[in-house]
Amino acid sequence: MSKQNQKPDEPKLRPHAYDGITEYDQRLPNWWLYTLYGTIIFSVIYWFFYHQSNASMSDVEKLEVAMMEIQATKLANSIDVSNDDLFYEMAENATFVSSGESIYNQYCMVCHGPNLEGITGLGLNLVDAEWVHGGEPSKIYQTIYDGVLDKGMQAWGPIIGQKSITEVTAFILSKKE
Amino acid sequence: MAKITPIRESVTTIADDGGRIFLHPADVRGVFTNWRRIVGGLLISIYVLLPWIPINGHPALFFDTVDRRFHIFGLTFAAQDFWLAFFFITGLGFSLFFITSLLGRIWCGWTCPQTVFLEHVYRRIERAIEGNSAAQRKLDGQPWNSEKIMKRGGKQVIFLLISTIIAHIFLSYFVSIPELYKWMTMSPTEHWSAFLFVFIATGVLHFNFTWFREQLCLVICPYGRFQSALIDDDTMIIGYDEKRGEPRGPVKDPNAGDCIACNRCVQVCPTGIDIRQGLQIECIGCANCVDACDEMMEKVGRPKGLVRYDSLNGLSGIKRRIFRPRIALYLVMLLIGCSVMAFSATKLKQAHMSVVRMAGVPYIVQEDTVRNAFMVRLINKQDLPVSFTVMVDSPIIHDKQGFEAPVTVPPLGEVVQPMVITIDRAEFTEKFSFDVKAVDSSGEIELMRNAEFLGPILLPSS
Repeated sequence: MSKQNQKPDEPKLRPHAYDGITEYDQRLPNWWLYTLYGTIIFSVIYWFFYHQSNASMSDVEKLEVAMMEIQATKLANSIDVSNDDLFYEMAENATFVSSGESIYNQYCMVCHGPNLEGITGLGLNLVDAEWVHGGEPSKIYQTIYDGVLDKGMQAWGPIIGQKSITEVTAFILSKKE
Repeated sequence: MAKITPIRESVTTIADDGGRIFLHPADVRGVFTNWRRIVGGLLISIYVLLPWIPINGHPALFFDTVDRRFHIFGLTFAAQDFWLAFFFITGLGFSLFFITSLLGRIWCGWTCPQTVFLEHVYRRIERAIEGNSAAQRKLDGQPWNSEKIMKRGGKQVIFLLISTIIAHIFLSYFVSIPELYKWMTMSPTEHWSAFLFVFIATGVLHFNFTWFREQLCLVICPYGRFQSALIDDDTMIIGYDEKRGEPRGPVKDPNAGDCIACNRCVQVCPTGIDIRQGLQIECIGCANCVDACDEMMEKVGRPKGLVRYDSLNGLSGIKRRIFRPRIALYLVMLLIGCSVMAFSATKLKQAHMSVVRMAGVPYIVQEDTVRNAFMVRLINKQDLPVSFTVMVDSPIIHDKQGFEAPVTVPPLGEVVQPMVITIDRAEFTEKFSFDVKAVDSSGEIELMRNAEFLGPILLPSS
């Protein structure tokens, strides 16, 4: 124990000198070396685990799984928007209609008025007999989704999504006599 | 273990074969030791108490990671206000520059958590269990008999307990105390990430304060390194008065200087250096050697201060300069950081509004009107619902659709609604900007956003 603690008065110098600068020949602390060896061992385990074995998924596989999950959610929320009968059924469903109503109040009421009767110069009347852009439920859905840009109707598809538009369509149909 | 004989060329605590030489610094008494204990005790109490002291309904320091909100002495910052951290961190950085160039590594020796916990908690317990440095060294050399197992084992158990407590207090800066208590009483499987965090933090703290100790300051700590680079000949450091002390010799030798070569300054040093070899990178400025030397000088009836707080110039007898250009520069930078931080903090709003033109055509022209549509987004950063009235401020605009009634934004939530603005076509001559204003029901929060009204440009009739 006591022997190793005895330091010589002057550490050895390395034989080289650059611009008159010399270097002591001293050992690194063992804990430092062990840390280095540890990281080397870790890198081998990491390389084997993530790149050689099948124990873990690669980044590409993880991405594929995540994309599948997103698609599954989309499919679960998707409704056949060309099926007019389905829209009429939704218009009878109180849950659909009430969530459609709150979306209407937030986004649509500004232009189409609180009772869907339209506002002169802004939104069209949605409860009269006339449908300027098509009165079939699937047409109404499409109009909301794509908007009527030259008349100032926003394309709502990218903003509120398919599910909300379906609900709003159901709400509008429910208000039709 | 033999007494250590530090040399400047190598690190005392690293043996020639790379092994660790474990230091057992001797006890020290004196003015600086007493003051350091007071400062250390104060800092530990602040660390422990801050999460418990409520200011404006939240702990004094609480980084609520779940809700992404930071409560700092009664001020609440949302994640959106994070840019302020730039001024906070540069302010702290220049404070360190300023203090270091003036007072040397006073941070390391007096206030760094590493020093505070090590010197005032862990080493005190070690001293109580194992005895003074001679007894500790004796214990090192003993075989593993029942006495050594009891003392060393008992010490490890208490150290582990304290490390666990420190780790939990650290977590309580990020998780509210009732929530933390709930977690502590639940099974780890219900909150793996928090459990692992505390488990690993405890392990790291335990390893650091039990074994690693001064190696952190010597090899790892970057602040210690750039503090060393900030010190100049006028910075206050701890130094040995060579002119007075040399040549060293016994008290009775009439030709010797004031240093009696008692080696006390080396024995008490927590990083194992000999301060008489001059300023060294290992010195954390703890003042142990100052107290040790003063005590010896008093015993032999010589004036104190052979080892003292002084600048390199002061120690070599040159006049000390406190004010230097760099001090002024650091001070200015520090004040800029602090004042921008303080100014911006008072300007912070508890809500945010944005007004964005709707996608599609920029404007709609009908028979005698021009129309622009916007999406207005209101973000509430408070944890209670806030009701906003949205108004448009322009002499031309008389017709605004949307926001007829005040809108209520849920706590930490947002509301997005359209706003349609219509003006008479006759009134539109060129594009103009107008202000959208949102005021909460109490009138305390006032938000303002500028928007632009677009329309057809009338070509001059030829």
